[in-house]
Amino acid sequence: MSDRTWASNAVVEGLLEWGIEDFSYVPSSHIAPVVRPLQERGVRSHLAAREEEGVGLAGGLVLGGRKAALLMQDNGFGNALTALATFAKAYHIGMPVVSNTRGGPGEYNAMIHSFSEAVPDLLHALGIRVERLGPSDPEGVWQSTTRAAAELAIVTRRPVVVLLDLLHPGIGEQM
Amino acid sequence: MKRREALEIIDEAFSDRPLVMTCGAPARELASIAKRDSHLYLLDSMGLAAAVGTGLALAGRGPLAAVEGDGSLLMGFSVLPTIHALAPPGFTLVVLDNHEHASADRMPTHAAVVSLGSACRGIGLPTEEADDRSGLRSALEDARAASGPTVVVARIEGGNDPDVPLLLEDPVTIGDRFRRFLATQEDEG
Repeated sequence: MSDRTWASNAVVEGLLEWGIEDFSYVPSSHIAPVVRPLQERGVRSHLAAREEEGVGLAGGLVLGGRKAALLMQDNGFGNALTALATFAKAYHIGMPVVSNTRGGPGEYNAMIHSFSEAVPDLLHALGIRVERLGPSDPEGVWQSTTRAAAELAIVTRRPVVVLLDLLHPGIGEQM
Repeated sequence: MKRREALEIIDEAFSDRPLVMTCGAPARELASIAKRDSHLYLLDSMGLAAAVGTGLALAGRGPLAAVEGDGSLLMGFSVLPTIHALAPPGFTLVVLDNHEHASADRMPTHAAVVSLGSACRGIGLPTEEADDRSGLRSALEDARAASGPTVVVARIEGGNDPDVPLLLEDPVTIGDRFRRFLATQEDEG
C-alpha cells in the first residue's frame, strides 16, 4: 500500500456511503485503487472495452433502477464525450463518473497531458458538471465530495464527473 | 426482406418488453410502425444501443432487445466481447444488416466483406441469422426464450422507407416514457 491510498480509499468510502450498487469501468493503474476495493466490498463491476461503452452500460443500469457509476481515466473522455452528451445528459441519466486525471504534477508520460489537460474545458463546453479533488483537499473532503457529487447526479438527473488528481506528489505528502 | 418488415416483426416479438433502438432512419421507421413507451429511441448515440441494452439486462430488466444496424454495430464493435463476457441475462441483440449506412446517403459498411454472424459466433455469442420474415420470427422467438445473451443478424434490403416523418421528440420525453414503462413492469412483477 502506497502512502497515497488515503485519497483513493476516501473515494471508495464516498461511493459506498452513497450506496453504489454497480459500476462499469475501463482499467487504468491509477483508477485500480478505487476499482479493486469496491469489488472486494461486493459492489458489482462490469468491465467495458471502451469508455463510451462504459457510459452505455452504466446508463442502462441506471435506467434499470440501479445506483451505478462509471470509473475511468480522464484520457478516455475522448471516447466518451458523444455518449455522455447525446445519451447520459440528453436522456437525464443520473450517473456519477469518477475519473483519475493525468498530465499534471507527478506525471511520467511525455504525451498524455496533450489530451488530459483539456478535459475539464471539454466537459464544461458540453455543460457537464465537474468536481475536482486534489492535494489541497483533506481526506474528509475527498469522501464527502465524492458522495455529494454522486447524489447531485441523481438529484439533477445528469452525469456529474469527479476528477481525482491522484498522481500529484502533494497527495503523498499529506499523510 | 425490407427493413420495415423486419422492424414490424421485432416490434411484435418484443411488444411487451423493453426495446432499445439505434438512431437514424430505423428509429423513425420503428416509431412510424408503433411508438411504444417500451421503446427507447437513441436519437444520436450511434453504436450505443447494445451497451445500453446490456446495462438494462444486467439490472434484471430482461427479456429485452436492442437493435443496431451493421454500421452502428461496427462503430461500437468492442461491445460484442463485452456482451459475451458480462452475459446479460435475457438480452437479445438484433442486427439489421443491409451492408450500408442507409441513413448516411447509403454509403457502404464493411459488412459487405465481413460476416457479422460469423464474427459474433467467433466471439462466442449464440447467433442466428435470418434472411426472410419467417426466419426472423423464429430466431427472435428462440432468442427471447434464451436465458443468456443472443444475437440475431437479419439480412435486409438497403435504402430507407420513403415519407417517414422525422422523430423530433425531446429525448427527455422519450426517456421519461421508457422509465414509466419500466415502472409498470415493476408493479406487475
